[in-house]
Amino acid sequence: MTNKSYCNRLGPLVEIKRARRGIYLAGLFFFLLVRIPAARCADAPQWMHIAANGALPAHDEKTNAVLLYSEDILSVQSNGKIKKVERRVYKILRPDGREYGTFHANFDAETKINNIHGWCIPSQGKDYEVKEKDAIETALLGVQNGELMTDLKSKILTIPAADPGNVIGYEIEQELRPYVMQDVWAFQRAEVPVREAHYSLQLPPGWEYKTVWLNHPEVPPSGGGGQWQWAVSDVTAIKPEGGMPPWQSVAGFMVISLFGNASGRVNGFQDWKAMGIWENGLANGRREVSPEIKKKTAEITATGATTLAKMRALAEFMQKDIRYVAIQLGIGGWQPHPAPEIFLHKYGDCKDKATLLSTMLSEIGVESYYLNINTERGTITPATPATRWFNHVVLAIRLPNDLNDASLHMVITYPKLGRLLIFDPTDEFTPFGNLRGELQESYALLVTPDGGELIKVPQLPAATNGVVRAAKLVLTSTGTLSGDFVEQRNGDYGTQQRASLKSVTKDADRVKFIETMVSHSLSAFQITKASSSNLNQIDQPFGYQYSLVAQNYAKTAGNLLLVRPRILGSNSSDLLEKKEPRLYPVEFDGPERNADTIEITLPAGYEVDDLPPPVNADYSFASYHSKTEVSGNVLRYTRAFEVKELSVPVSKMEDLKKLYRIIANDERNTAVLKPAGH
Amino acid sequence: MLVRRTFLLIFVFAFCMTVHDVRLASAGDEWQSINPEELKMTSEPQAPGAPAIILYRQVDRDDSDVRRAHEYNYIRKKIFTEEGRKFADVEIPLVKGKWDIQNIKARTIKPDGSIVNFDGKIYEKEIIKARGLKYLAKTFTLSDVQPGSIIEYHYMIDFAEYLVFDSNWVLSDDLFSKRSKFTLKPYGEWALQWSWPNGLPEGAKPPVNENKLIHMEAQDIPAFQAEDDMPPEAAMKYRVDFVYSEDGFEKEQEKFWKRQGKKMNEAAENFVNKRKAMEQAVAEIVAPSDSPDVKLQKIYARVQKIRNTSYELEKTEQEQKRAKEKEINNVEDVWKRGLGDGYQVTWVFLGLARAAGFDAAPVRIATRDDHFFKPNMMRTKDLNTNVVLVKLNGKDTYFDPGAAFTPFGLLPWSETNTSGLKLDKDGGTWVTTTLPESSVSQILRKADLNLVSDGSLEGKLTVTFTGLEAQWRRVGEHNEDEAHRKKLLEDYVKEIIPAGSEAELTNKPDWASSAPALVAEYTLKVPGWVSGAGKRALFPVGLFSGPEKHMYEHSTRVHPLYFRYPFEKTDDVRIELPLGWQVGSLPQAVNNDAKVMAYSLKVENNKGSLHLERHLRSDLTILEQKYYGALRNFYQSVSSGDDQQIVLQPIGASGGN
Repeated sequence: MTNKSYCNRLGPLVEIKRARRGIYLAGLFFFLLVRIPAARCADAPQWMHIAANGALPAHDEKTNAVLLYSEDILSVQSNGKIKKVERRVYKILRPDGREYGTFHANFDAETKINNIHGWCIPSQGKDYEVKEKDAIETALLGVQNGELMTDLKSKILTIPAADPGNVIGYEIEQELRPYVMQDVWAFQRAEVPVREAHYSLQLPPGWEYKTVWLNHPEVPPSGGGGQWQWAVSDVTAIKPEGGMPPWQSVAGFMVISLFGNASGRVNGFQDWKAMGIWENGLANGRREVSPEIKKKTAEITATGATTLAKMRALAEFMQKDIRYVAIQLGIGGWQPHPAPEIFLHKYGDCKDKATLLSTMLSEIGVESYYLNINTERGTITPATPATRWFNHVVLAIRLPNDLNDASLHMVITYPKLGRLLIFDPTDEFTPFGNLRGELQESYALLVTPDGGELIKVPQLPAATNGVVRAAKLVLTSTGTLSGDFVEQRNGDYGTQQRASLKSVTKDADRVKFIETMVSHSLSAFQITKASSSNLNQIDQPFGYQYSLVAQNYAKTAGNLLLVRPRILGSNSSDLLEKKEPRLYPVEFDGPERNADTIEITLPAGYEVDDLPPPVNADYSFASYHSKTEVSGNVLRYTRAFEVKELSVPVSKMEDLKKLYRIIANDERNTAVLKPAGH
Repeated sequence: MLVRRTFLLIFVFAFCMTVHDVRLASAGDEWQSINPEELKMTSEPQAPGAPAIILYRQVDRDDSDVRRAHEYNYIRKKIFTEEGRKFADVEIPLVKGKWDIQNIKARTIKPDGSIVNFDGKIYEKEIIKARGLKYLAKTFTLSDVQPGSIIEYHYMIDFAEYLVFDSNWVLSDDLFSKRSKFTLKPYGEWALQWSWPNGLPEGAKPPVNENKLIHMEAQDIPAFQAEDDMPPEAAMKYRVDFVYSEDGFEKEQEKFWKRQGKKMNEAAENFVNKRKAMEQAVAEIVAPSDSPDVKLQKIYARVQKIRNTSYELEKTEQEQKRAKEKEINNVEDVWKRGLGDGYQVTWVFLGLARAAGFDAAPVRIATRDDHFFKPNMMRTKDLNTNVVLVKLNGKDTYFDPGAAFTPFGLLPWSETNTSGLKLDKDGGTWVTTTLPESSVSQILRKADLNLVSDGSLEGKLTVTFTGLEAQWRRVGEHNEDEAHRKKLLEDYVKEIIPAGSEAELTNKPDWASSAPALVAEYTLKVPGWVSGAGKRALFPVGLFSGPEKHMYEHSTRVHPLYFRYPFEKTDDVRIELPLGWQVGSLPQAVNNDAKVMAYSLKVENNKGSLHLERHLRSDLTILEQKYYGALRNFYQSVSSGDDQQIVLQPIGASGGN
């Protein structure tokens, strides 16, 4: 209930920073953890010994640990305060399972840790015990995406002797005052099978609850009279796979909403409308305009002849001039700062940026609404109960009736409000009218004064995203290939390059992105000229123009010359080249269409002896077409790869594997040249 | 007067200086005057493309009054791009009870010269809190920062009373620094020594001591940029180190090391001097008839069987208490208890070798994994580990059995080709440890495969890792289980084959010993290795060329290149063609001998059986930046050679060649 990671900018770029921070933290934590003073030895509690003596759940030889016992007890007081007890017992099976011996409990201003204990029952010798005074505390685990400040902290404890063969366990007792009376029981684990998991709920008189099960058959509770218990057993581990759907759409959960009279707190959400009302209430008064905002809005829009031009100017201001900074304290994890404050400082997080843009749009007579979304497609589905599993806020902008423009792609029609343009002001690189792939084909909560409604963000045409490459090249009889490439990088492909180029610290490094890309296809080459276009004009497609010389590109074999016409780029993947059968669907980043047109002028005195066959592979989810032709002394290779559906179910996995192999073969195919007249 | 200096504080300080972007700035006027030229700047010619630069940085440390030691920091940055605005987020570390950050002042100067004083909140972020320790950071962000803005802030670090410790000025920053000024007013009761181990930025004059104030200025310090295969950062960044000593410093290098050498020798000899115990022990290990080689090998092998606690997982204090491990004071303790750390184990080897009649000496060396040893720095701690020098059959040979899994006659890579002090009662003599030849550390890949009709390769593969190639893999896996080791070896094969492949380990490699070779056997399948070309089929020759595919992608380089040890890779691959197919043409043999690097490739056809031999050798450990282009060209030629194709065609078809 304490996760407040309510903002997500461009994921991959941010992840790099997190990873780097993690490296030094890991070292520091280790330094401290191994120096934690000794606590007295004490026997592990009875519940842990009982669990330790039970049979192991089914597992394979790669399993690092099994969860023998899991128990969550939620006791609600009449004033809405909650006491929560969490118990876990693991058996460590392999050396890599030692990581389960380090556990943490999160807390913030609304959550207090009353007690935290850990024990080890070694296979030989006396039990070990560690207590709260042995813990280290940090605010860094709660920091995501480089937020400047958050009040979310963690206590971390390391249990001694968490070695293979030993059983470790812990108990955390907390007092919670959640902003929303809702809990989530996550009983399924990644890579750890669960033997038994229990959840107990105690409610005071007059309180009610509602549960929704996700990705697991519903289990009826036992008990009654204010006390209920649920139990599941032998829950298989989820084995992570590359490109799999998000955790919330594959793991078993029970979402528990509570209804009573918690003072100053909101009951669990009955539905999305109720959640929308709460969200709207949080933003109440936050979009009031200040004289400074009025003035700036007038200044920005002064030269815009049309409403669309004014909207674009405001969007650009928000993308470029309002810096991303997140300060999330208390309810600030959920509630935006007031627009005048955001404008004054010229910084804010995603909901702040949405708030200020909404305020400025309102000044030019354009309505807009918050749209809560998750950057991992599939986290929220129509089956998901109303819960705060969103991590980002964008804006749904109501388009004036007379505004029709072909550049506005991401438009939905919402019955009550008409046409809405979905725009992410936190995304510095995606132009007004578009939306990056990870947010497409996703469910999002539209927040309006009437409440909220789950709506589906549509998928844009494949042609809005991808690489369109054209090359005119000359091959010599010694195998040297030289010539010019022109690339247009649309959508997310342009965004990635813009973000990368803007992060370089010296001009000389700009060419490195091209060198890296080319080196994945050519073994020996020199980039002789390189430039980019529309780096800062995000409403125009980003482009690269470069020239190269590749020595020994064509290989001699006897008197033959072997030429791979594909030259650059790859659309294949070895994602499915695994021994184990695929368990989960494959999710694409977004729709895309990549197209290559390569023209190679052949060396004098050579003619084509053999050409690769054309490829035509069409599936419901994707297609690939390629063709190699000769016209005079020019070898012409064209190909197109298109992603049409963003999720490929397991039932079509063999087709996807086959498609990737077809593409891989085509990418390696070679044209054979021979001396003319032979 | 009580002055506390602890290892912990040095650690804490090092942590802060390393981790955080913020650099520490003299009292005086609160703000430096604004130069209109700085306001107009849109770029810095000496740092083209930089998102921001440091215009001015000032660090004034005053240790003179141990009750009020403090450090004033002032920093001014110019923001050039949107990306550079991130430098408006400031984080200043502190350790509660040890030092505090006071009087933080900050402001933004907009391109038009208007000033936005920082009046926002300064947060105190908890980095780590544990028993008796509290690491915090004061954090804030400046308002209204845009490209063209200048941001600046200053603050005071107030150290706790009686807290004086070694410090440094790290001159290199992630950003180009236009002008920097540093001062240190030292604590007067102790001697202070300062040095700049990696040199100073071009044009910078060394620190000067005037009127008990050490000061220096530097201009135009390039931004520090990390690169792959570069020497350790600690050996590359410009910095000035300050070291206090209660006992004073020896000014002459030779005298210093003589004195330290004597001390180290005394400590080593006191630990080793258990002649009787060692003689008894050695009698159990060797036979009188053993040759010197055999004797020493037996001793080495036996010593490596001692439980080496340096390679065990670090125990929590509870586990240590329960283990009741007593202090070890000499080689006899190690021998009797059957355990010791790596350092102690190596000295046991010294004791046993001497007891067996060998001329053996203790040597303290500096490992080259973190920084490069410079004797003129006169830092004893740089000689951070020990080896034993034995005269074996008239030849000086170095041994470190305390470094687990190191084969007889070898040292771990970080101990090779590095300086050390061979200890004796007179202080010792300087030596350099040996660097093993490339042939010592090899990866041999021998495959017997069949090309099947669907274009796949199937068969058996044996990979033999020798010397240091075996040693580091064994060290890395010593606390892992069989499943982990199996995965490591199978993943290795997938990495070296530049296509999807299936490898299944079929043997149980010897992970436990220090044998020179670690052998892994597999069944291997590479689907679709052969591609079609009309009536022909093409077979790429670089089956195990994956690691060399994307070496040195970029045409420019800033730092020298640094490699751990010389190595060789040898491939011996035999492939049976399917019935009905024959070789149309073979690629020409390649033999590229660039002295310190060499690559050769040869393919033969023996009646439908292909034989591929590929050899790659590197004798490099360090290479100047100016030779980067040559190295890149070499690897491009390797990759080009590996991309060559064997043309296959149906028997009876005319290939036109």
